[in-house]
Amino acid sequence: MENTGLGILSLLLAVPVLGAIFLMFIPETFERAIKGASMVFSLVALGVAATVLSQFDGRSFHFQMMEAVPFLPSIGVQWKVGVDGISIWLVVLTTFLTVVANWFSYYIKTRVKTYFVLLQFLQMAMLGVFVSLDLILFYAFFEASLVPMALLVYIWGGSDRAYAARKFFIYTFGASIFMLIGMIALAMQMQKVTGAMTFDLVAIQAQVANGALWANAMQMQTVVFWTFAVAMMVKCPMFPFHTWLPDAHTEAPTAGSVILAGVLLKMGTFGFLRFCLPLFPEAMQNAVPILMTLCVIGIVYGAIVATMQDDVKKLVAYSSVAHMGFVMLGIVSLSSNGLLGGAYQQLNHGISTGALFLLIGLLYERIHTRKFADMGGLKAQMPIFAALFLIVMFSSVGLPGTNGFIGEFLAMMGAFQAGMAGAFGLNIWLPVIAGTGVVFAAVYLLKMFMQVFYGPITNPDLLRLKDIKTHEIVLVGMFIVLIFWVGFIPTPL
Amino acid sequence: MDYKLIWWVFALPLFGSLFQALGGKIVVDTFGPKLGRRICGALGVAPIALAFLIALPMTLQLMRQPESERAVVLTLFEWISTQAISIPFEFRVDPLSMTMVLVITGIGSLIHLYSIGYMAEETDFPRFFTYLNLFIALMLVLVLGNNLAMLFIGWEGVGLCSYLLIGFWYKDLKNSAAANKAFIVNRIGDVGLTLGMFWLVVLAAQNKDALGIVDSRWLSYDVLLPQIGQLLASKPFDATMIALLLFVGACGKSAQFPLFVWLPDAMAGPTPVSALIHAATMVTSGIVLLNRTQEIFLASPFAMNVVALVGAATAVLGAGIAFGHTDIKKVLAYSTVSQLGFMFIACGVGAFYAGMFHVITHAFFKALLFLGSGAVIHAMAHDQDMRNYGRLQKYLPITYLTMGIGWAAIAGVPFLFSGFWSKEAVLYNALNMPDKMSTFTIAGLTPGAFAGWVGLAVAGMTAFYMTRMMALTFGTDKERWRDLAPAHHDVHAHHDDHHGHDHAHGDHHHGEDTEGFFMTDEEMNAQVHAHEHHHELDQTHEPHEVPWTMWAPLAILAVFSLGFVGYAMEAGHWLKDWLAPWGATEVKTAKNISHDMLTILSIVVGTTGILGALVAYRKLPNSEGFDLSKWNPLRRAAAASFYTDWYSNKGSGMLASGVGAVVKLFDVGIIDNIVKAVGSIFGVLLSAIGKRFQTGYVRNYALMMLVGGSAIIVYALVQVMGGKF
Repeated sequence: MENTGLGILSLLLAVPVLGAIFLMFIPETFERAIKGASMVFSLVALGVAATVLSQFDGRSFHFQMMEAVPFLPSIGVQWKVGVDGISIWLVVLTTFLTVVANWFSYYIKTRVKTYFVLLQFLQMAMLGVFVSLDLILFYAFFEASLVPMALLVYIWGGSDRAYAARKFFIYTFGASIFMLIGMIALAMQMQKVTGAMTFDLVAIQAQVANGALWANAMQMQTVVFWTFAVAMMVKCPMFPFHTWLPDAHTEAPTAGSVILAGVLLKMGTFGFLRFCLPLFPEAMQNAVPILMTLCVIGIVYGAIVATMQDDVKKLVAYSSVAHMGFVMLGIVSLSSNGLLGGAYQQLNHGISTGALFLLIGLLYERIHTRKFADMGGLKAQMPIFAALFLIVMFSSVGLPGTNGFIGEFLAMMGAFQAGMAGAFGLNIWLPVIAGTGVVFAAVYLLKMFMQVFYGPITNPDLLRLKDIKTHEIVLVGMFIVLIFWVGFIPTPL
Repeated sequence: MDYKLIWWVFALPLFGSLFQALGGKIVVDTFGPKLGRRICGALGVAPIALAFLIALPMTLQLMRQPESERAVVLTLFEWISTQAISIPFEFRVDPLSMTMVLVITGIGSLIHLYSIGYMAEETDFPRFFTYLNLFIALMLVLVLGNNLAMLFIGWEGVGLCSYLLIGFWYKDLKNSAAANKAFIVNRIGDVGLTLGMFWLVVLAAQNKDALGIVDSRWLSYDVLLPQIGQLLASKPFDATMIALLLFVGACGKSAQFPLFVWLPDAMAGPTPVSALIHAATMVTSGIVLLNRTQEIFLASPFAMNVVALVGAATAVLGAGIAFGHTDIKKVLAYSTVSQLGFMFIACGVGAFYAGMFHVITHAFFKALLFLGSGAVIHAMAHDQDMRNYGRLQKYLPITYLTMGIGWAAIAGVPFLFSGFWSKEAVLYNALNMPDKMSTFTIAGLTPGAFAGWVGLAVAGMTAFYMTRMMALTFGTDKERWRDLAPAHHDVHAHHDDHHGHDHAHGDHHHGEDTEGFFMTDEEMNAQVHAHEHHHELDQTHEPHEVPWTMWAPLAILAVFSLGFVGYAMEAGHWLKDWLAPWGATEVKTAKNISHDMLTILSIVVGTTGILGALVAYRKLPNSEGFDLSKWNPLRRAAAASFYTDWYSNKGSGMLASGVGAVVKLFDVGIIDNIVKAVGSIFGVLLSAIGKRFQTGYVRNYALMMLVGGSAIIVYALVQVMGGKF
């Protein structure tokens, strides 16, 4: 087993761990110091991620900056990390959204120390998921990300937080148990073929690529594929495994919602790209019709349910179901445009929906309600806030020129191309129905905007409301810059 | 002159918009509302006027080029670039795009100028110009873009501006609802356009070798269009599907049946917006798209016939509904719908140039009519009901004269006014549609000839309802607002009291405001309450002619609604030759009816309409008064827009909420409960076995996952075994 020693990616993972340890030594009463230190550590992590990005060779399709250190050699587990063109951007997104979460968590008042320690651990786990190149390592980070997230919901969440946290934990934990079994099966298959048990993704990929691994093992491939697929489908989430999402999103504190929507859901789509496609090529192709059907149901269904919500956070949560449906639509079309579009759209969903949750959080800190009935007419009180919200909303609608357009466009195009070509038994009707999701997105998002900002002010509490503060404008402004930048100069493509 | 200057034509309005958004409020605050708004207004007009001044010599230069060199493509940067497709951010300077640029910036700057006067009392002045400048910038992207994806940026972008401007007065939820409706109905069309684009990409990519395309800019006009006609000739099904999908997009933006329902509601926006966006420019995008992609349409006679018939249906429906409305802007809105139908008739019979011809003349006279109606509304304390007007020519002589020219143009007064020329071109081409282009006949007529006869009848209807509008506004026997009851002026004071009351209540529900989210009492009192002036129309009202910033644009537009414009374009087929794109197939017209014969018929029909209306509206007939029960049932149906509004508002709303409620019930009531129920069944079983687990829900979900996961694996096994179980 190779041993390259540790490098910059290990450093990236170490920063939040060190941050968490450092925070533990600050007395609970020094709230500002805790918040400040946490911010510093997440900025450092962002800096390291930026360094990784600057060293990354965008022209190569291989894993880069790989580090491998044997960990449990007897069963073939190792500390192996690396990045490729998909994960690098998710790493950057994660560190960026963690900075945003830290920034916003300025408003946290209770159990401050625990909160920020959890935030640091969460960041570590999320980054670990994206850089792991060993199955067991991936699994460990995948599960590790659940704990701090569930606790964030459980301790700092809304009124129904206990229920939501449990549901979230059980759903995702339960699903990934199957994946662990699948991983072990995969390692054993590797042993059968090569003689050595290994969880090394790169090695397994090589055996898949040369056709050795799944020779005469098609049934096993299908079964193992589904163990992975179910875990990812719950995480995305895809219909009908989505019901944990609205509860978790709604009850989570704002920073939790931002990270949940921005990063955690991406683990599911990322998992499909990282494992399901390269490791189980034939099984994946066989599964395309059923997966794409579920995507399209999710797109339409999520949108219709979103339209009916009376709670602004729930609406955005259901919109995530629809939007993630578009991401998966592109991925499962298995066409070059679709894959690219899906991979791209997952980043943009992180930016747009993350920003939407942030804005809703800013409002919630002020008026302590999420019900449309208590809002209305806010544009008159908060014109700047309304303008920022409008831009973010239209990026979520997928207006061309914003970040939301390109991914959705390419994903739909990919699905349409696959349908027209009749690949994998598809036809054009699924992408056509998915197209109606674009109309629905306008329906529920415009409805949301109208109910929050337009009309006369009916709630007297709102009459004294001031516009958002300068530092909040800067915070949201970063997202606005990203929205247009990525919309016109799509570097990650 | 360097064609690169075209980037400035686009950038100037964009920068103007950014300036208004970021600096407009500062300017108004610094210079005070009156001067500040004037400065803002001037800085709003300037970029558009400058853009026009750049575009004009550029177009003249383009005219001097030989025909084969009249298309210049300029690339700014790579926008979307993958292995499978490349979509640069590129502009195309050619006759079609430059013609539209001149219309947009020319009429646009006049309407901007007009807006300074019209919106002078508006507190949110910079926001208005932000949207208006942004609209111009995006409309320019729509017409100048060299690929369908660029067109789509503009396409959705102008939809955004339209949404923002319809809902400009956002405090009234009715306006916001109208704005939402416009955006959503447009999006339905946009899905069609998107799918059409995808289809084109698939087709181009599949046949790239046969066509010898090496460039992966599949959607770019210079790559796609010269080849597409030849390719589609052998693929009639693809041709028809692509053409119809693109046409769905055009129907949304250009308000064709059945997607026209948003346009009348769009009149909720300020009147200059109605003139610029919902009459002169944005709604003609569909015609521009059809002109751009005419090779695709020409490859599918069936799609062409559909276009012509939809155009005819829209024309007659719009005109019919216009009879029933007493709101001056609604009449103009439906007349726009009807006139857009004419343009589609032209495209549907292969006379794409005639469609553009009518776009141009219509842009002038309809902008004129809308701005004129805005002047009337401005003078009549924002009352839009023609039943309260009458004899306004005495008070508004300039508006009367200029609107009169607009009326003559749309009513088809022969030779002297522009509308006559373009309408004749449309009808002549329709009635003489070549037989080989028809795929079916209606009552023995080709679809084109059928559409043409319908169009001729609609021309008569147009003459009638437009004369009605003019008569009720400027003519008739008396000043009807004198009959109104005096307005209640004390409403205002009461309203202010109410506000003060609310403020006092404001902080009751909050404890300490440690973050400074809310205004203190001092800040609250220091706030200057902008008084929006609401003067209501009552019997003492004295209308006044509008300021020069408003009537000057009217006068200019009136000049360009005169017959010389139409004559210049039609004489010697000037416009047709100018717009003729690379190798467009010449559509030979049959000879069912001669020019002279058509002219005579048009004059008879038009004169009948005008005289009929003049006789009928010497005074406001009782049968069209405020008492709707006295109305003729047919007219009452027209007033209700033949119930199309009901279907699009109430009906779709009810359907949507019904479906939504069911689905929501399904999500929470079924899916979530299945999870819970299955979980608890196993939970009961398990707890009977051993009560080791303490947390109720946790194990339920764990079990649910177990069950669900197993089900999937069983499914996978079944799939693998190929049903051998």
